[in-house]
Amino acid sequence: MSERTYIEYDNARITRLDGLALRVEMYDGRVFENVEARRLFPITGASRYITLLDEDGVEQAVIRNLKNLEPDSRKAVEETLAQYYLVPKITRVLACTEKYGKLTLKVETDIGEHRFEIKHVNTDIKVLFDGRVFITDSSDNRYEIPGLRKLDKKSLALLSPYL
Amino acid sequence: MIPEDILSTAPLPERFASQAAAMLLEGETPLFTIVGDLDLKGRYNESALVVTDRRTLAFDQYHAGGVYVAEHAQVDKAFVKRMYGNAVLRVALRGEAPRDIFRFTYSVASLCDAAALFAENIAGGGDVRQEFDIVKATFDKKKSFCPKCGRALGQQGAACISCTSKSTLVRKFAKYVRPQLKLMVLCLALSLVTTAMALAPPYVTKTLVDTVIPNKDLNALLMLVAILLSVYIVQYTIGAVRGYFMRIAGDRIVAGLRNDIYEKAQYLPLSFYDKTSTGSVISRVSGDTSTLQAFMLRITQEAIIQFFLMIGIIVIMFLMNWKLTLLSLTPIPLVVLGARYFGKRIAPVYRKIWRRWAAVSSILTDTLPGVRVIKSFTGEQRSAEKFESYNNEWLIEDRKAAKLSNIFPSAVTFFVTCGSLLIWGFGGKWVIQSPQNISVGMLVSFISYAAMFYGPVNFFATLNDTYQNSLTSAQRILDVIDAEPEADFGKGNLVKKVKGKIEFRNVNFSFDRIKKALTNINLVIEPGDIVGIVGTTGSGKSTLVNLIMRFYDAYEGEILVDGVNIKELDLESYRSKIGYVQQEPIMFKDTVFRNIAFSLPDADVEQVIHAADVANAHSFIARLPDGYDTMLGERGVGLSGGERQRLSIARAVLKNPSLLIFDEATAAVDSETEHLIQQAIERLISGRTTLMIAHRLSTLRKANKIVVVDKGEIVEFGSHDELMALKGKYFKLIEIQSMSEKIRAGKEAERFE
Repeated sequence: MSERTYIEYDNARITRLDGLALRVEMYDGRVFENVEARRLFPITGASRYITLLDEDGVEQAVIRNLKNLEPDSRKAVEETLAQYYLVPKITRVLACTEKYGKLTLKVETDIGEHRFEIKHVNTDIKVLFDGRVFITDSSDNRYEIPGLRKLDKKSLALLSPYL
Repeated sequence: MIPEDILSTAPLPERFASQAAAMLLEGETPLFTIVGDLDLKGRYNESALVVTDRRTLAFDQYHAGGVYVAEHAQVDKAFVKRMYGNAVLRVALRGEAPRDIFRFTYSVASLCDAAALFAENIAGGGDVRQEFDIVKATFDKKKSFCPKCGRALGQQGAACISCTSKSTLVRKFAKYVRPQLKLMVLCLALSLVTTAMALAPPYVTKTLVDTVIPNKDLNALLMLVAILLSVYIVQYTIGAVRGYFMRIAGDRIVAGLRNDIYEKAQYLPLSFYDKTSTGSVISRVSGDTSTLQAFMLRITQEAIIQFFLMIGIIVIMFLMNWKLTLLSLTPIPLVVLGARYFGKRIAPVYRKIWRRWAAVSSILTDTLPGVRVIKSFTGEQRSAEKFESYNNEWLIEDRKAAKLSNIFPSAVTFFVTCGSLLIWGFGGKWVIQSPQNISVGMLVSFISYAAMFYGPVNFFATLNDTYQNSLTSAQRILDVIDAEPEADFGKGNLVKKVKGKIEFRNVNFSFDRIKKALTNINLVIEPGDIVGIVGTTGSGKSTLVNLIMRFYDAYEGEILVDGVNIKELDLESYRSKIGYVQQEPIMFKDTVFRNIAFSLPDADVEQVIHAADVANAHSFIARLPDGYDTMLGERGVGLSGGERQRLSIARAVLKNPSLLIFDEATAAVDSETEHLIQQAIERLISGRTTLMIAHRLSTLRKANKIVVVDKGEIVEFGSHDELMALKGKYFKLIEIQSMSEKIRAGKEAERFE
């Protein structure tokens, strides 16, 4: 098993190519072309341990912490991650109705207003210990409530029975 | 113009429709549209794809002029790039770099796949009509989800179980109460007798206080006491009999409910268990049914009794003195309003308690069977701490409910007591000032009635609490009872004999719509073929056999056995023709005999022994002190992995199946045991179509065909020799395997020495 290449501080320069593709030039001279960034911990550590996969899905390197990268490299990775991961952040719950065990939510998110359905209330809404809530809708799209305490009273009251 | 009835996911927004209509060329026919929900920058917005026989028009505000046009003939590559929570349709025109033309959430991802394939195939010279038929099929598949509730339907256009049944909860649960109706009516009649009797003593008290005691009439006193005694004897005897019958009726209701939930749980598809923990199903079978039983009895018995008691008391009180009656009714509005407020507050708390409790149960079902792993990694303390933290979560919620559910009855009692104080105050004053209107006896008996009256008031005030609690349970139970069972549209279409030809036609499958587990699988297996399925872990080998087993039905394309679509066959009859041996054989907490006979419950002793013989299991069973009567622990504790595997093969032998599937049956055993298992397998497979997911060369050599699966696709197919000559993926896998087998053999030899 070869040793994992970790990217940290200025040991690599990362630039953006087309779409989600990135180019990584390591300080030691190695170059990884057309790699894509994926979060190893998309829920619990969004900016830490970002793996870089080549076109065959083989890992070429891992970024330990995005915050420690050079600003330009960091921006390049963050942009592709923002494009790849679409997890709308719910800022307000406008309506919440339950019928036949299915929940319909109308919400305000950071990318606009949206209505979606949840099939299994008991399994598709997950509350994390830090107060964040992850929701999966009936089409397997994901949503996040960044913090229950950040929600207004009405939103919380609408959602509370299902948490 | 874009026809209104064009094949579409949703009505095409007017502005896109008119723009598209204006862009249509002479003779160009619009075929289908896909309405998206994101713009190219990833914000919720209107976007659409209009596909014609010649071009794809992608409408998005970020395209120049709001639309991007791709001529099918110019398309070099079109594909859907799946990301996290969204996807893009990417098109590369000849000589150009690929570009994103349409972004969307997963709700329309499978349709965009079809659109991409359509454009690519037309570019490659495909026939428009034929290609459009494939698109139509994908749209139809989309319709196999209930448009109302989103639940998957077994077949397109089928009625959705949860939506067609409009009956209320009461009606759904009435079927469990109905068989006990006679017993319950009897209980009710008995209760009415006891209720009527309960109304008598206060009236007798009035006569005692007002007439008998002042007149010092000892005979009358004796007679009234005797009457009271007989009333009490009859009342409590009937009460005891009634209690006994109620218990029987209640137990039968809960047993019926449990049986139904358990039975339903058996028929639910594997996809249900992929999402729902077994712990939460267990808590539905055990806890929720009891809660519901208590409520059903309360509503069908207590509510009626308390209602009659309340009416009876009010009538008597009004007849005795209307002024005092009105006084005692004063606190009622407060109690009713309080009950409504209380109901709203307590409902979410009960829901939360249920969820916390389900989490606690999940930990139990998850960790207790894995106690060996926990011990081996000295994780006892960690496990205990995790359980404690979940249990504490439950405790916090339960404490909230305890607070609410105790404060409320105390408040009610307080108001009620205030009502009695009013009667004492005003009534006492009236007795003192005008004893000719109200006697002392009447006041005393009134106080008794008032105290009795608040019983039903209290009951109805707290009924909401029980109602809310049981509503949560009822919904949890309906989650299972109303869940879509495994689709069996071919029910009754029994399979007589299976020759064993298996065919996959354009099969695509995804567990979660995010990642495709199988892509474009086309495969023909002839009767009697022994097919080895190889590939790296996670390549889709097991998914392939899961689809043949019909564990998952929501795939695109067709799987045929002897030329018949397996979805059209009777599920039970079809599965009965397949012998399935898993990598980790599951045994039940039962005897060895019954574990083997699980596949054929009517099998006689000699059949079972013969099956064990074929599976090379008989000799080790014979050495067990209790032989075939050996009781296995949960999940077969007490036997080695190889022994369990041989029992599971014996199970398959006993079933005498036409198709055999081995899912890495020898992966977890040593060479010696593997040899015994291999022998057993060879005896079993002769003349039967066999699919073997395998890693070991020794197993694969017996296969006359090899399927190599990689990343959900079949990459190589042919005989061992053909594939070795190809020097591709199979060749590499075999090379690695031979090396590791050499090392393993070496190590085993070392150990032996």
